[in-house]
Amino acid sequence: MNQGSSITRRLITAVLLLEGLAAVLLIVAVIVNEHQDEYSAFDANLRASANAFLGAVQEAEDSSPNIGLDVRRIPRTPHAVYRVTDGEGHVLGAEGPVPDLTIEPDSFRRVKINGHSYRFFALDGERVVDPGTPSAVIHQVHILYGQPDGRVWHEIWEATRFFMLATAILLGVTAVLLVWMIRRLLSPIHVLASEADKVNSVHWSFTAPEVAMHLAELRPLASAIERTVNRLQSSFEQQKRFTRDAAHELKTDLAIVKSSLQLLTMKERSVEEYGKGLGIALEDFTRLEETVQQMLTLARLEQPADAVSPTCALHQVLQDNVTQSASFASLNKVTLMASPVAAVSVPVDARDAALLCSNLIVNALQHSPDHGAVEIALRSDGPTATLTIRDHGEGIAEEDRPHLFEPFYRGDPSRSRKSGGTGLGLSICKAICDRAGGSIEIGNHRAGGAIVTVTLPVSRAGRTG
Amino acid sequence: MRLLIIEDEKRLAENIAQALREAGFAVDYAADGITGSHMAVQDIFDAIILDLMLPGKSGKRVLTELRQTKSRTPVLVLTALEGKETIVDLLNSGADDYLAKPFDLGELLARVKALIRRAKGVSSTIIQVADMEIDTVRQTVKRRGQEIDLSPMEYRILQYLSYRPRAIVSKQELLEHLYDFEWEHHSNVIEAHISNLRRKLNLQGTEPLIETLRHRGYRLSEEASS
Repeated sequence: MNQGSSITRRLITAVLLLEGLAAVLLIVAVIVNEHQDEYSAFDANLRASANAFLGAVQEAEDSSPNIGLDVRRIPRTPHAVYRVTDGEGHVLGAEGPVPDLTIEPDSFRRVKINGHSYRFFALDGERVVDPGTPSAVIHQVHILYGQPDGRVWHEIWEATRFFMLATAILLGVTAVLLVWMIRRLLSPIHVLASEADKVNSVHWSFTAPEVAMHLAELRPLASAIERTVNRLQSSFEQQKRFTRDAAHELKTDLAIVKSSLQLLTMKERSVEEYGKGLGIALEDFTRLEETVQQMLTLARLEQPADAVSPTCALHQVLQDNVTQSASFASLNKVTLMASPVAAVSVPVDARDAALLCSNLIVNALQHSPDHGAVEIALRSDGPTATLTIRDHGEGIAEEDRPHLFEPFYRGDPSRSRKSGGTGLGLSICKAICDRAGGSIEIGNHRAGGAIVTVTLPVSRAGRTG
Repeated sequence: MRLLIIEDEKRLAENIAQALREAGFAVDYAADGITGSHMAVQDIFDAIILDLMLPGKSGKRVLTELRQTKSRTPVLVLTALEGKETIVDLLNSGADDYLAKPFDLGELLARVKALIRRAKGVSSTIIQVADMEIDTVRQTVKRRGQEIDLSPMEYRILQYLSYRPRAIVSKQELLEHLYDFEWEHHSNVIEAHISNLRRKLNLQGTEPLIETLRHRGYRLSEEASS
């Protein structure tokens, strides 16, 4: 089996992919959130430190007329850099490599210094000398304060690391559970498959396993397999029966031909005896030939029909057959009556229609008593044509009715070979009717005798009403 | 010897019957299982040739029912069915032998003869009674090495008696086993044949082989050698 086409694999892969995607999105969301929190705190710290420097300017001793910066009480943050300038650009105090930056007051900016990332805050403030007096002097102060923000990323990593690890472990554990669960949940498919696998040409019984019938998704599949197996079994049994019966029929015919010829060779015979024996053997051989011919005809009729649908004038074919059967009828002292015969065309090949009529008429004649009559009628009621052939014979036994169209079926021995048939005639008639989309039925007439009713669709060109 | 053929194919049955009649058997024929079964249980046949697929009653059922009546008549089954199971099933049902169709008529005759021989407790094709020798294949009779020319019916009577040496065989039994239903039975026909047979077998200086027991029947004596 192709591993890539496994439903289990696909399900596991799909669920794990979705789980993984959800985990990644969650981690990104957590990181973004943490990033915002950490930077808010970092920025607040930058702002506080800058304000501390402003306070340090405001509270420094005057060195009038200039102002100063007293950094003694400002807590020192490692790697922090700053520059404090007055309104005239004089540097009041500075530390570290502060670049010349033009930053809007009260705003932040990230800058690279010597390959390290720094975040700067710019603060503008005032130092008022002698406030509240007319001689009060206002000095502008610009503070630029920065700290390396690599630490912030470190904090973010520290805060999210546990979360990411926990997510990865959860993902792994759920993946293992998922494989186990999906395999377990899909086990009814395996049970169904193994049950279906037991079906073969000898063992045809298939009962959908309970576990499969309980699942709404599997129930239709299980039922479909059950129906298919039953159909196949019936078809297979039919084929087997046909083959067995055909073999039996052919072997019997061969046994007759062979024994007829061997009988001649068993001892020295007169020329007349040889002549008579060969004549009988030839008759036996003709019967074998007929069986084979009929089997081939049945096989042909059971093949799919040609694309071009044939058509024939059934009334003409019927009349021809009645004429041809007249001598056989008079030989059996039976009267053939064909009336009414409606002009009708049916979608049947002319040779098959002739075979149908001939089989049914001969059958009726064979089962007619001396001085009996065979009544034939062909009626048309627009879309269908109905052919009925009735004899005044012994009729059909009720137990034979379901089997009459089965190949080689022999019910009452009087309906077997002794009356001349091979047991294939009615099967051929049914195959012809089925092929044309019609039907054939055999029943007993109320007044005695058998009646065959053939219903065929009328060809479009042949419709008269 | 009298045989019964139970076979629904008239032509096949006719051929087998003719071959068997030409080989010196009396043959009766049944075209369906019910008639065949009815005839078979009468115990007047020395062997039965039975087809399997029969109308009315299957050959297997005919066989099973026959064996239920404790009949020991040998049965040779003719079958067109294939498969080892069928053959095993048949032999287990009481068949003594089988032939698959299409068969060889010569083989059928040989098998029937062998079945009858075995059923009569004889293994060889040559039967020795006292100083007489019957070749059942060539259908010839010799006494003290001298060939005796017998008519077909005389031979059949002698062969029947030779299968039951020392036993008293009634005239009725001889009639039942040597003539089929088609034959017109005349009770004195057997007497006439026996008389001819006794005359032909009586060579100079030999004891009579066939004893007549008044109102009881005939007996082939094994102590006839002088």
